[in-house]
Amino acid sequence: MILLTGLTKRYGETTAVRDLSLRVESGKVTGFLGPNGAGKSTTMRMILGLDRPTSGTALIGGRPYATLPHPLREVGALLDAKAAHPGRCARSHLKAMARSNGIPGARVETVLDTVGLSEVAGKRTGTFSLGMGQRLGIAGALLGDPRVLMFDEPVNGLDPDGVRWVRELMRSLAAEGRTVFVSSHLMSEMQQTADRLVIIGKGRLLADAPIAEVLASSSRNTVKVRSPHPAALSRLRDRLTAGHAEQPSPGELIVTDVPVERVGELAHEEGVPLHELTARKASLEQAYMELTADSVEYAAPGGGRT
Amino acid sequence: MISPSATTPSLPSVPASRRRSFDNGGLPGAMAAEWTKTWSVRSTWWSLLTALLLMAATAAQLGIYTTDTNTNTDPTDDKGIVAASEIAIQAIDLAQFAVIALAMLAITVEYSAGTIRATLQWMPRRAWMLMAKTAVVACVTFGAGVLMGAVGAAVGAAILGRWRSFSFAGTARDLLTIGLYLALICMFTLGVGTALRSAVGTLTSVFLFLTIIPASLQNSNITFFERISDALPGVAGARFLRGATDPYPPIVGLLILAVWAVAALAGGYAVLRRRDA
Ligand SMILES: Nc1ncnc2c1ncn2[C@@H]1O[C@H](COP(=O)(O)OP(=O)(O)O)[C@@H](O)[C@H]1O
Ligand SMILES: [Mg+2]
Repeated sequence: MILLTGLTKRYGETTAVRDLSLRVESGKVTGFLGPNGAGKSTTMRMILGLDRPTSGTALIGGRPYATLPHPLREVGALLDAKAAHPGRCARSHLKAMARSNGIPGARVETVLDTVGLSEVAGKRTGTFSLGMGQRLGIAGALLGDPRVLMFDEPVNGLDPDGVRWVRELMRSLAAEGRTVFVSSHLMSEMQQTADRLVIIGKGRLLADAPIAEVLASSSRNTVKVRSPHPAALSRLRDRLTAGHAEQPSPGELIVTDVPVERVGELAHEEGVPLHELTARKASLEQAYMELTADSVEYAAPGGGRT
Repeated sequence: MISPSATTPSLPSVPASRRRSFDNGGLPGAMAAEWTKTWSVRSTWWSLLTALLLMAATAAQLGIYTTDTNTNTDPTDDKGIVAASEIAIQAIDLAQFAVIALAMLAITVEYSAGTIRATLQWMPRRAWMLMAKTAVVACVTFGAGVLMGAVGAAVGAAILGRWRSFSFAGTARDLLTIGLYLALICMFTLGVGTALRSAVGTLTSVFLFLTIIPASLQNSNITFFERISDALPGVAGARFLRGATDPYPPIVGLLILAVWAVAALAGGYAVLRRRDA
């Protein structure tokens, strides 16, 4: 379990992470989502004691990372695909890593096999593609068979097969009861993987909830009503003062924030002949866009996103 | 084509009983990791090979010079009988820089290659990480010093011929002296590198401290500056190395050099502890 309390990090003028409090539970995949520059990597570095928080604390199982006697046996982390010296072969890299935490050498071959790097284990990592470097990083995260795993943008540079494999890996690690905390700047990656979402923008916590709740809270949950009687439709629109109803064309009404059942009842009361009554769920992508709209560091000029 | 194993990627868990049985890690684990890291990159082997070649070449040149002065027509420059290991001690002045490069790379490459975050992730206790590096650098460079001494003495002995003296005890003492000197100089370098993080900065600073500054202070012919130069690591180290007795005995030279090494490491640690990785 990872517990962040009031975690804040400033680099000079920039506040990379602002008063972040968070609890990452075991047995789940927690997606850590935010646009580029939101502070995800900084947060992960602070959890690992690499960057010193300006204020606040980050604890793993109740202890700061740096005080863990065998950190790699408790926390596995993939931070950067370039974590290995380019002149060292993959096997030596993992061997040194294993020795640092008293992990048996046999684990090196096991994790090399798990990530599919056995055949190139003797090659210098400088010759690796981005995807192979990413796999080596994942092998390192798994090396100590840890209860807590963190992955910073793990699918960067992976081909579609690799992406699917990473997804399955996350799911199976969580199914074994481990804590899995994985960052991404793309909602589409999280949609099929995460149980819970933590969304940040400009270093601030925007949402921390199960996926379903993030969806439900989106204002994009709409009901579409079509009718051949524009006048009746206008009457219905006027009844919906509580929600927001728009009539983009005479025969169509888009209702926001009103349950589809209620819209149906009102339509019946007003005697509106219906050709269509559909509840449209917001996609997570939309919910995410909405949440982070104000906090994108480098927005396209003119806010050109739809 | 590299593809991950098709089976589900779940890991066989290590049974609890075995978990306890491989319980070392900690500082010994950190040292073992640094040891493995040292020998698994080519730069280590290149540095050592370069050091040995430099030593052999310099020793040969000094040996030839000695026999020349003894056999030329000018009797005033005669060196007479010279201990074979004395040649090695003189030759270390130049050859040491290949070993210093090795010590420097032990830390600066972590910053240039971006592996420092991984290293500190494995060994988050920064004092232990630096202690482990120090121990490995000291061991490797001490060994390198002894080996270089042996090569230098062997080359020297071969070339000196009838102008050679050799005693087992004397040679052994000289080889240990070279090893100790080099280990301390390299610990000093490691400390400077930890504080500065950049290879160029480190090499420049070490070169300044060992060579340039003492040379300019001594050339000033001002007693005050000469006294200062006596306290610098390069000069103190050279006094220890050559068994000089003036202005202080070799053991004091050793102590001064050791103080510099510890001070540089303490400075490096102060930076390492405070700054983000
Ligand atoms: N070492 C650093 N020095 C200065 N600024 C930094 C440093 N690391 C990150 N930042 C800044 O902090 C912000 C958050 O960055 P980061 O944590 O990398 O975001 P993310 O991983 O979500 O893309 C960015 O504005 C970035 O420029
Ligand atoms: Mg990032």
